[in-house]
Amino acid sequence: MAKIEPGMESMLDMYFYETNSLLEQLDEILLRTEQANSFDSEDIKEIFRIMHTIKGSSAMMGFENLSVLAHKAEDMFFVIRENPDVITDVSFVYDLVFQVSDSYKAQIELIQNNINGEYEQMDFSELINKLLKARDALVGETKGDTPAQAEAIASGAAPDPEAAANGAAPAAPAPAADNKTTVRVFFEDGCQMENLRAFLLINTIRDACKELEFEPADVENNPETAKEIVDKGFLITFVPHDSVDEVLKAIESALNVQSYEVVSTPAAAPAEPAKTELPPEPKAATPAAAPAPAAAPAPAPAQHAPAQTSVEKAQAAVEKAQAAAGGAQKQSLISVNLAKLDALHDIVGEIITTESMVISNPDLDGLELESFNKAARQLRKLTSELQDTVMSIRMVPLAGVFQKMNRIVRDMKKKLNKDVEFVMEGEDTEVDKSIVDSLQDPLMHLVRNCMDHGIEEHVEERTAEGKPAKGTLKLTAQNASGEVIITVSDDGAGIDPEKIMNKARKQGILTKPESEYTEKEIQNLILLPGFSTNETVTEFSGRGVGMDVVKANVEKCGGSIIVDSKKGEGTTFIIKIPLTLAIIDGMEITVGDLVFTVPISTIRESFKAESSQILRDTKNNEMIMIRGVCYPILRMHEKFAIDTEITNLEDGILLLVETDNKSVCIFADKLIGEQQVVVKPFPAYLNKYNIKGEGLSGCTIMGDGSISLIIDTNTLIG
Amino acid sequence: MTNDVIKEAVAKQQSTDRKLSTDNSVLGKVMTFHIGDQIYGIEIQYVTEIIEMQHITKVPHVPSYIKGIINVRSKVVPIVDIRSRFGKEEIPYTSRTCIIILSFNELSVGIIVDSVADVEDIHSHDISATPENRSVNTNSFIQYMIRSGDDVKLILDVAKLLDDEG
Repeated sequence: MAKIEPGMESMLDMYFYETNSLLEQLDEILLRTEQANSFDSEDIKEIFRIMHTIKGSSAMMGFENLSVLAHKAEDMFFVIRENPDVITDVSFVYDLVFQVSDSYKAQIELIQNNINGEYEQMDFSELINKLLKARDALVGETKGDTPAQAEAIASGAAPDPEAAANGAAPAAPAPAADNKTTVRVFFEDGCQMENLRAFLLINTIRDACKELEFEPADVENNPETAKEIVDKGFLITFVPHDSVDEVLKAIESALNVQSYEVVSTPAAAPAEPAKTELPPEPKAATPAAAPAPAAAPAPAPAQHAPAQTSVEKAQAAVEKAQAAAGGAQKQSLISVNLAKLDALHDIVGEIITTESMVISNPDLDGLELESFNKAARQLRKLTSELQDTVMSIRMVPLAGVFQKMNRIVRDMKKKLNKDVEFVMEGEDTEVDKSIVDSLQDPLMHLVRNCMDHGIEEHVEERTAEGKPAKGTLKLTAQNASGEVIITVSDDGAGIDPEKIMNKARKQGILTKPESEYTEKEIQNLILLPGFSTNETVTEFSGRGVGMDVVKANVEKCGGSIIVDSKKGEGTTFIIKIPLTLAIIDGMEITVGDLVFTVPISTIRESFKAESSQILRDTKNNEMIMIRGVCYPILRMHEKFAIDTEITNLEDGILLLVETDNKSVCIFADKLIGEQQVVVKPFPAYLNKYNIKGEGLSGCTIMGDGSISLIIDTNTLIG
Repeated sequence: MTNDVIKEAVAKQQSTDRKLSTDNSVLGKVMTFHIGDQIYGIEIQYVTEIIEMQHITKVPHVPSYIKGIINVRSKVVPIVDIRSRFGKEEIPYTSRTCIIILSFNELSVGIIVDSVADVEDIHSHDISATPENRSVNTNSFIQYMIRSGDDVKLILDVAKLLDDEG
């Protein structure tokens, strides 16, 4: 058990956010390059830098094991960076780095779950040994190629990459001898931990420099150097890639730098040191304005600049993440606590309800209110804009979740020894953040199922069916009429209805005579609790939980899932999820003492029936003839078993509703009027009952506080 | 309270060790309410609020003990009639009829009770386990009982009440 260092708690969130996004980035690079089967030098540099940043921030937070692990991985990539050709066994390197990334995530989760005190420190020694061996092996390769360089790396005197870099550089320490520039940097008084700040500064300018030396050299590990830096300043000697000015600018804009002086430049001999005073106000207060703050050490100033708001801190973090993403372009992004957005989203919902309460207030009935109506229209326009904006704030692309599935497919491919291609479509589809979060688990289950059960075990089974040897797993997403439709499909063996039926019979989950089950119904039996056809339980699936959990999870966010499969051709899971904060224009109707909301978009017309229009077929089903077309009549009070006095078709009102080319006339007591309503899902407690399947999609709170049930025209008719 | 705590309390009462059995500690609080003549209780940590009876919007296709949904400060909460849930005959709602809003595992449910009685301490001495006999209809929802004088209060198992498929 280890404890989180006191005083660091406030930075934990930042650390988690930053490290997690770096790890995601790492995974993405790895997956991308693995597909291409080669690292290019940019990627290697990127990975190196990610490891480096993680190492630095972990060390600062006092997570020793994490920092050591990153250090070793960094070491390995240092060798690769110096000589990209050394990799002989690419997949070995990938496996190793994936392991590192996974270990990281696991440890971070452990720490995250135990914020108030102790956390379990994972033992990475095995992995570290592996990394060391890999590095040694790589160094061995390098030795064969360029002995001189390899020696510099392998010589125990230079275990640190930075030091090794120095060792490898042509040894010419004489200042101003060639094109080197030496700068002395002073940090703000009392900013503390000067050695770490110096180290972060070095990181910031490293990329802009061809060569880089600094004095004192052991700032990273030796806190004693802090005092030296305060007294004598921090000496940096560098050879820039492009211009000296660029590096100087980066130093100037770095955090906590009070002033710097150029000690020597390549052109002139050490002339009068040009001292540059920086404006006294801390740069941290305006991170957005600072030009290219690159890897600005966001967490560090947080302690000392209490005036800095959390938003600005977050902004610094985002910028840092962007800098890490290699994008030099500056985007003004902030990260916001989701709880705040939830609150905003709830308030907007209430505002819209209240707006309806005011504008359609019964006190206003029968009044001529020209200017009131004008103002009301303006208000409605603004609230609907507000609603759109709030919705768009919460929208994030599905790419992140899809990318994770890519990772799962990759791992399972290796474990199960199946050749599968992973295809993504529409990963830029944006959905509400809460939906993205709750979709991750179900999608993972489905992808695992497809990989494990869907795709055939042996290639021969595929070729015998005339399918390509390589399986395909496809993940798609699209927006369609207020819903997000996500599909997971494979071109594997498909679902055998016979097998499902046998299993269902054994499990005793059939609820009607077998002959009455349609193929679709049989397929969807696999979504029931306690159903798993895989004979053996594997690491990935087959525990008999899973599909029903998937279903429950999807339903939790108001969605539905269906299975579509053809034996021998593959299986497709279709998930439909409504966009949240759905605000619909609804028509309120009453039936007995219940109020229903019918989405206006589905209503074609409403009218009073005349007895001459009403027909009955041989089974006594009621129909109505409108302009020569015959429509069936659906009595709401019968459908939902409601007591009402109005049962005569001529006394009530008929609504002609239409979806997907199907039309029906709904019979209700009377129309109340049109209203904008905020769709709320039914309470989770009611999920086990089939309310949704019977034509109700949710409920809404109306202006007077009462509840109205929202009709889902599709399922009502279907 | 977890079942372990209850078992421990019961075990302590039966213990021959006098020191243990005289240790009468307060284990928590329950809110008690009436259903007919019987007093039931719910541990206070599950109770969010008590509201008076109001209009309940019926929801189709649910069991008859689910009376519908109500709006509690912009949250939609399902309402269960405890009488009908326990298989007792339903009686007309009166001015004393209350809805107790419970929350458990982020699930909110309101229960209709005849009237709310009191909030009292749970003393470890008063706790006794339910009989093993499960044939009584309401038994499965009772987690344990509290004896005080001649009264016996049945403490409901909220987890079962809300999660049970029934």
